[in-house]
Amino acid sequence: MAGSGGAAIALHDVTRRFPLKGVPDGVLALDRVTLDVRPGEFVALLGPSGCGKSTLLRMTAGLDAPSTGTVRVGGNEPAAVAGRQGFGVAFQDHALLPWLTVRDNIALPFRVAGKPVNAARIAALIALVKLTGFEGAFPRNLSGGMRQRVNIARALVLEPEVLLLDEPFGALDAVTRRHMNLELQRIWTETRTTTLLVTHAVEEALFLADRIVVMTGRPGRVAQDLAVPFARPRPVEVMREEEFHRMQDSLVLALEPEAHD
Amino acid sequence: MRLARDLRILGLLGTLLLCLAWEAIGATGLGGFTWPPLSRVIAMLADPDRWDLFGRAAGSTLASAVEGYVFGALAGIALAMLTHFLPRLAPGADRLAAGMHAIPTVALAPVFLILLPAGSTAPTLAGIGVAFLVYVAAASGLRASSAAHRDLFQVLGSRPSARLLRLDLPAGLPSIATGLRLAVPAALIGAVIGEWFGAPRGLGVLIVNGMQNFQIVLLWSAVLLVALISLTAYLIAGAIERAVHARFR
Repeated sequence: MAGSGGAAIALHDVTRRFPLKGVPDGVLALDRVTLDVRPGEFVALLGPSGCGKSTLLRMTAGLDAPSTGTVRVGGNEPAAVAGRQGFGVAFQDHALLPWLTVRDNIALPFRVAGKPVNAARIAALIALVKLTGFEGAFPRNLSGGMRQRVNIARALVLEPEVLLLDEPFGALDAVTRRHMNLELQRIWTETRTTTLLVTHAVEEALFLADRIVVMTGRPGRVAQDLAVPFARPRPVEVMREEEFHRMQDSLVLALEPEAHD
Repeated sequence: MRLARDLRILGLLGTLLLCLAWEAIGATGLGGFTWPPLSRVIAMLADPDRWDLFGRAAGSTLASAVEGYVFGALAGIALAMLTHFLPRLAPGADRLAAGMHAIPTVALAPVFLILLPAGSTAPTLAGIGVAFLVYVAAASGLRASSAAHRDLFQVLGSRPSARLLRLDLPAGLPSIATGLRLAVPAALIGAVIGEWFGAPRGLGVLIVNGMQNFQIVLLWSAVLLVALISLTAYLIAGAIERAVHARFR
């Protein structure tokens, strides 16, 4: 298969139609999207609402299937990867179980997999996301930012092959969101897990990713594939560099071409 | 908090008014001679010579109700789990449960009386009422988990049994607890009606005897006792339900 040799995530010629009453062929949500993510690479899928970027991520996770085309993760079907606990996921809805404490929420992937709970690993992750002291707290007693820290820790706990993030900080206020991006960058630099991040925030994509894939909507297509040149680890000052601003401006333009015609 | 306290005071006030009205109607003879004042009913319940009679009757009714409640609840939850794993059974199970519920308990009682071994009519009728309510609550409870949680378990590669144990069951507990609260009066109704039709002892037997022998105060005493037992159990189940809701939501 073209271009998928050794790729951690390989989406090839993926088309997705959603059935719609009265429309014979349904609505075309994704039109022949091809995307490879290399092992250890952090790729951001950037696009406006409704461009199908979340559908692409859900397909990668095996939660949706393409109408035509193939999705492979490490050369396997997504369902097989899920079966061997190869995914770590964090979505905008933190999806923490309200009846479990922080510690038990992070331990959930162990228990679901029927593996012995590695208490040392959980303690280390709680420290990594800076929630030491909150191990016994329930999600309802945490702030939005803290819940997403737990969400990220849970996604990382089984040392997944692939990390899938769908607007994990989308529901947070701007200040907390920027702070969480700094934290995610720090955490990611320590693990270097292959990551696919879906976002519509240009700054977030530029700050976090090695590569940005820009999508356009209706139907969803890949419009640009852009390498991010900033060296890692990236200090927060990166966001004040001239090159950062230049790329930010051009990406904003790419996202809404019709507004600048 | 103030509202809750005010409501409690209003509730006590309402209960007190009801008792006073009962007493007044009985004392003035406004309700006829079959309406005794509350004080005479309480006096009979408080009479130590009667405690043995009431104690044995209440114990028997309570035993039937508890037996029916436990088995009915287990059957309801088991059936709900079965339809959860085999969704094709769900429409049939729903109709069976609704059908059983649509038949009046009093109509079923004589059938069970001739069908079942002696003494098992009361717990069986209690169990049927409970099983229906708990099945409906458990079946909807097991479907109550959010789409985001179900997605998470799928991506984590969860087996169906792990999902039931770690997601569907805990997510369904609030609904199951509500069903268990609503099933408390159903268990007592079933037990008392079962006793009407044939039991060696029980509050239902006392009610029938009081009615047939025109022992009006005895009849009222037995009815009041059933009401008090039912209310107490209902309040305990309500407290458990609130605790479950606070923990699992």
